Amino acid sequence: MKSKLFLIAFILISSFCYSQDLVVSGRVNETATGLPIPGVNVTVKNSTVGTITDMDGNFSFSVPSGSILVFSYIGFDSVEMQATSESMTVNLTENAQTLDEVVVIGYGTQRRREVTGAVSVVSSETIANLRPVRIEQALQGTVSGVNVTTQSGAPGAGLDIRIRGIATNRDASPLVLVDGYISSLSDLNFNDVESITVLKDAQAAIYGTAGANGVVLVTTKRGKKNQKLSLSYNTYLGLQETSRKLPLLNATEYALLLNESYANGGQPLPFPNPSALGVGTDWQEEVFDQGVPIVSHDISFQGGSEKTTYNVSASHLDQGGIIGGDKSHFDRNTIRLGMTADLLENLRFNSNVIYTDLNRQSFNENGLGSVLFNAISAPAIYSPYGEDGAFTVLPTGNSSIPGSNLGNEVINPLAQLANTWNDFDLRRVSGTVGLDWDVYKDLTVTTRMGFNSQDRRGRTFNPQVSYGGKVFDNVRSSVDQNAINENDYTFDAYLTYKKSLAEAHNFTATLGTTVFKTFGEGLFATGFDVPNNAWEFADISLTTGFVNAKTAGSYKYDERRLSYFARLQYDYKGRYLVSGMIRRDVSTKFGPENRVAYFPSVTGGWIISDEPFFGESKKLLSFAKLRASYGVLGNDAIRSNLYISSLNGEATYVLDGQLANGVAIGTLANPNVAWEEARKFDVGTDLRLFNDKVDIVADYFIDTREGLLIENLPVSGIVGAGGPGGQFPTVNAGTVKNSGWEFAIGYKDKIGEDFNFGINYNVTFIKNEVTEIQGAEFLQGGAFGVGQPAPTRMEVGHEMGYFYGYQTAGIFQTQAEVDAHPSQTALGAEAQPGDIRFADVNGDGVLNANDRTQIGDPIPDATMGFNLNLEWKGLDFVAYAFASLGNDMVRNYERTLTDINRHSYILDRWTGAGTSNEVPRVTTGATANNIFSNYFVEDASFLRIQNVQLGYTINPDFTKRVGFNKVRVYAGVNNLYTFTKYKGFDPGSTNFGSADNPTTLNQGIDFGFYPVPRTYMFGLNVNF
Amino acid sequence: MKKMKRSIITAMVAISMMMGTVSCGDDFIEREPYYLIGSENYFNSEQDYNNALIGAYDLLHATYQQVILGEIAGDNTLAGGESANDVIGWQQIDMMTHTSVNSNLKNIWDWMFSGVNRAAYILEFKDKTDFEGKSQIIAEARFLKAYYNFELLKWFGGIPLKGDTRFALGDEKTIPRSSREEVFAAIEADLIAAIPDLNVVAPQVGRASKGAAQALLGKVYLYHGADDSSKFALAAEVLEEVINSGSYSLVSDYNSIFEHEGENNSESVFEVQYTDAQGASFDCLQCVEGNVAVGFSGPRNYVGPQFTSGFSFNVPTDEAANIFEAGDLRKDVTILNMDTWAGTYGPGYNDTGNFNRKYIPRTRSSTAMGDLNLTNPNNYRAIRYSDVLLMAAEAFARTGDAAKGSLYLNTVRERAFGNASQNINGLSGTDLVNAILEERRRELFGEGHRFFDLVRTGQAASKITGFTPNKNEVFPIPLEEIQFSGNFWAQNPGY
Repeated sequence: MKSKLFLIAFILISSFCYSQDLVVSGRVNETATGLPIPGVNVTVKNSTVGTITDMDGNFSFSVPSGSILVFSYIGFDSVEMQATSESMTVNLTENAQTLDEVVVIGYGTQRRREVTGAVSVVSSETIANLRPVRIEQALQGTVSGVNVTTQSGAPGAGLDIRIRGIATNRDASPLVLVDGYISSLSDLNFNDVESITVLKDAQAAIYGTAGANGVVLVTTKRGKKNQKLSLSYNTYLGLQETSRKLPLLNATEYALLLNESYANGGQPLPFPNPSALGVGTDWQEEVFDQGVPIVSHDISFQGGSEKTTYNVSASHLDQGGIIGGDKSHFDRNTIRLGMTADLLENLRFNSNVIYTDLNRQSFNENGLGSVLFNAISAPAIYSPYGEDGAFTVLPTGNSSIPGSNLGNEVINPLAQLANTWNDFDLRRVSGTVGLDWDVYKDLTVTTRMGFNSQDRRGRTFNPQVSYGGKVFDNVRSSVDQNAINENDYTFDAYLTYKKSLAEAHNFTATLGTTVFKTFGEGLFATGFDVPNNAWEFADISLTTGFVNAKTAGSYKYDERRLSYFARLQYDYKGRYLVSGMIRRDVSTKFGPENRVAYFPSVTGGWIISDEPFFGESKKLLSFAKLRASYGVLGNDAIRSNLYISSLNGEATYVLDGQLANGVAIGTLANPNVAWEEARKFDVGTDLRLFNDKVDIVADYFIDTREGLLIENLPVSGIVGAGGPGGQFPTVNAGTVKNSGWEFAIGYKDKIGEDFNFGINYNVTFIKNEVTEIQGAEFLQGGAFGVGQPAPTRMEVGHEMGYFYGYQTAGIFQTQAEVDAHPSQTALGAEAQPGDIRFADVNGDGVLNANDRTQIGDPIPDATMGFNLNLEWKGLDFVAYAFASLGNDMVRNYERTLTDINRHSYILDRWTGAGTSNEVPRVTTGATANNIFSNYFVEDASFLRIQNVQLGYTINPDFTKRVGFNKVRVYAGVNNLYTFTKYKGFDPGSTNFGSADNPTTLNQGIDFGFYPVPRTYMFGLNVNF
Repeated sequence: MKKMKRSIITAMVAISMMMGTVSCGDDFIEREPYYLIGSENYFNSEQDYNNALIGAYDLLHATYQQVILGEIAGDNTLAGGESANDVIGWQQIDMMTHTSVNSNLKNIWDWMFSGVNRAAYILEFKDKTDFEGKSQIIAEARFLKAYYNFELLKWFGGIPLKGDTRFALGDEKTIPRSSREEVFAAIEADLIAAIPDLNVVAPQVGRASKGAAQALLGKVYLYHGADDSSKFALAAEVLEEVINSGSYSLVSDYNSIFEHEGENNSESVFEVQYTDAQGASFDCLQCVEGNVAVGFSGPRNYVGPQFTSGFSFNVPTDEAANIFEAGDLRKDVTILNMDTWAGTYGPGYNDTGNFNRKYIPRTRSSTAMGDLNLTNPNNYRAIRYSDVLLMAAEAFARTGDAAKGSLYLNTVRERAFGNASQNINGLSGTDLVNAILEERRRELFGEGHRFFDLVRTGQAASKITGFTPNKNEVFPIPLEEIQFSGNFWAQNPGY
């Protein structure tokens, strides 16, 4: 009986096979690299027949003819193809958005479908598309809730990342971890980055003390096991030019304007024959260069055996500046070695070491007296060079020479560049070494040590120079040098215990400790009288002069953090998910009584689409998850030792004709200084529609920062902190709330066999509000003009750093209008027709400082990103754009001297009744038109086409014959165009103060930003 | 089962290893800050006291603003500058439209209280370590505390006092503003305590001598006399001690006083010492070791001999430029008139063509550090011997001793005219006092005394445009300070 049944079965199967079987074979490659993928599941659709690819990505098996083959691999989009008898070539595209993708969440990973926090990921593909010079740019417009702004377009300039708004008036930068250790994003080569994960909500509470500004987790690329050696080489050449020049007055327009201005001021006309001056010098043309090269090369090789993997890379980047030739330049070299090894069956080793070497030259920018400031202030009537070829000296003012009243600060920008000499070098080694030990099946111990060690060197030469009596005149040459060594390490040790009970209750428990120490020292000194007044001799060793003052300084620091954390994640059948975390931190930033803090959080999720009742809806809505989180995070990003009163004040007097240095109390201590606490609430949903073709993520969040650390919080002057070198104490004195929502939608599909496309859009709306300041009505900051009151404030009921000044109400057209309005004398001068009419905001019939009010704020109401990618056969096209709406900017790059050049909007000025209600008259007489008002505040909303790129991959069948897996050439443009009404150089720039003194109160003030370059790129990717 | 047991053991080992790192934790977080001297562990040696004393002297540099505003607020000069909005706080004080929101007044409050606290810091620890010569240091600290408190009194009236200890956070809510009388008493007590311990010749040029403390005490009594006329006699007494000490004399050439060579000369009773040896920036004006007022007072875009350019603030009015009698050698030293001077300049706001010649920038040394606008090394002659003579003359005149009043007045006039031909004789009582006050204006023009002389002698309302009696005699307490005190401190009347 048994044998009969067997026989029947055999006949059935064999006949089935015989009649219809087909042997299919082929190879599966990764789209991005052209490399074969081992271990891909190849199955016949709706059957159990299948195989997996071998080490070379090859497969071969018998299938019923007419079968549809499904190729699937974790982390890649599945592909379905008709089985054919010919050798099949299948390309799988990595997909960062698959639900099975592994997402790093801090001290562990989760599958995307199980993530219960607000977590966004930028994939290596996006990074490769954007080819960021600095990796921060990869977050610009690609992730909701993250706003990235440039500090400057200068080569090597930094970028600022703000996650879900600005919640502190000091450093609002997120915590960055590279492969688990605290590090920085700057100086990474983009091709070394596998993914960037952003933790935006209480999910980051596992990082306790340092997570309040959000957490950015960078994962570097690793080799894959059982993979042959593969090489890839990428290069591009870019040609850069400025993305914007300001329309300024030419020489004739300038002379006419001055004539009018002098006439209005009751003075004789300076230029009797303006038209004879012609167009004159275009100073911007003089300072901006075109076709400035940027060159990048990187090469990497990777592979792996059964037990080890390796990934080695090297890169070189060389970027010139669009201003100043070799005075503005950046180059960077990196080398990286990543390795993993299974030392024992249950003991895995991993390491990654990155060496970076960079060099930067820069010049004075974004301030009064910067190169661009001078280029837009210098009148077109002056030529850059005199007849003898020397730089023209711009005069300070002589009543007999027209157009000469340029004051003490405006100098020839070309001379300024020529006299600028500085050099910055950085060498850094950073990396991590770790072990994972599977103690037994459910329990893993992870230990790892990550470190950064860097040396920074700076050298600035201040040549002896005269600009003709300007403040930049330097009577004595000097060279400033500094050497700074900075180190830190992060040591983690934690247990992960996973257990499933009854195939329904899944637990993951994590328990561990983190130790962080940062330490270093700096030494700086100045030497005087540089031989030959030349850069080549600018070293302290060669200087011969000295001054009767201390010209050397140093510092040393050591800050530590000790943390314990525990996390329990539980889910019921993967459908109901909860996690709870707690972290205990001790930080040396705080006094003995305030060192310890606890940071708890909970997250939860419900995968609705897994519910049985969901059944039929799944066709439309293939996946739906609701999630929520709440937790407390901390911020300790303040300077050291603020809880101790130390003698670091300035105490210098002159005794017996010599400088005498003594001591004085500097920073006033606050023994009670403690953490900032961020209370983060988030509800969100993740949806997949139409068979995962549409992907939606939406979140609503409320982020409340309490106990905001306000450094230098003004206190009563009687305690003496207003003296030289004195600082007010740092106090936990504010509360700021950021609330809003984020929405991201992606759609990808294919049309026909060959046309794939994807569209992604994300938008973030944030409302920022200060809800408390203890001990002060408001804090103020920023700067406007010269000698004017601080233009920005932090004040309850307003946005951080909102603009505070006078509200304008048009232009006085007639004397009758002037007479009918309260006197504006208290604002600086009695008004005349053609002057700005300032609003009597408080309605008391008197115009004075009490009429100042909110006239704008620098925080965008909404930021959004948009990207598009198309693939058709060998062609690919990507476009990235981002936009910022509702952010205001203060136009502060204009000097108010009578004879300097002006922006051409002044051509629309008031010249008589009815001529203008926006731009006031020009005059050399006293006027209140230049006081800080909304006349100087502009809407700096913008939309920037960040990157457009067209690539072509040469048919792999062809290139493989000559040994290349993939050869792709591309051309593209970075910063193609910026749509904006803003008049200045760059609406996308922000000014968050210096690294040593970060502040959010400078944010929207434009001192003449160095515009980002527009770059025409030509590139090549080759994989062997 | 055996395997399970082993797993449990290894797990225990793993956990205890982790706990090993945990237990070292408390030690790990105990670290001493590097190279940091705590303020409460100081004063262990003579040098420590000397260092702290230098810190207390440092704030004298920050008095530059009182000097320039002492002129601008009065009838001698206009604010000037680049435009009507240039340093708006000064412009408002010039027009007497200033309010309690004025960053420049706030600076005076902050910087002078910083000086008070730095002096009190020394006094607080005066008994900690003994060494020879300590009494001089303690006396200098008292002198400085008195100096700074007197500035605060002149500007703001009654202020909070805390004796020989520093103010602490929270004191603004518990220590009331003392009355003017109490502040006078405290200043006088500090100076009286300091005088016996101070050397006749200061240990270093720039430090306070006995004569400096006596002269300051005389000045304080003279101001106090406006409230309590019994103090005039005390003023006369102590000022005459300075005169009779023989330590000071008038130099013959008035012009030489304000040049570099004339610094710390025989006429200098107390002088704030400035230098161009250290660089400076606008970021921290109170940190500057140069005389900031000088750069601000220079002619804008000046090209010519002897002087260098500045920001054209503090410009003398035409009326003020004409107060000098014929033959008065002081006029050309005091007023630089660009119409007659061999130099060019760019007219600024309020331009009169006149500049405060005593304190405008001289041609700079080749070793001067930048920013040159801030690092002018001109010392401020805070108390000149001629001031002592005129104060003594006034004190004697007010106490009925017209002979001594005239004597000291004429001592000053003889130097001014180079002979005794212009001596004023035969006056007494109010006439003599008025003559002395007129002489003060001519002798001390541009040196920061004018506004307060007008106020203390009751002439301000008649001389200063916009001056409101019973209000503008003092300046408002900065609004921020009233707020910090939670309205515990009352604002000055009228503000």
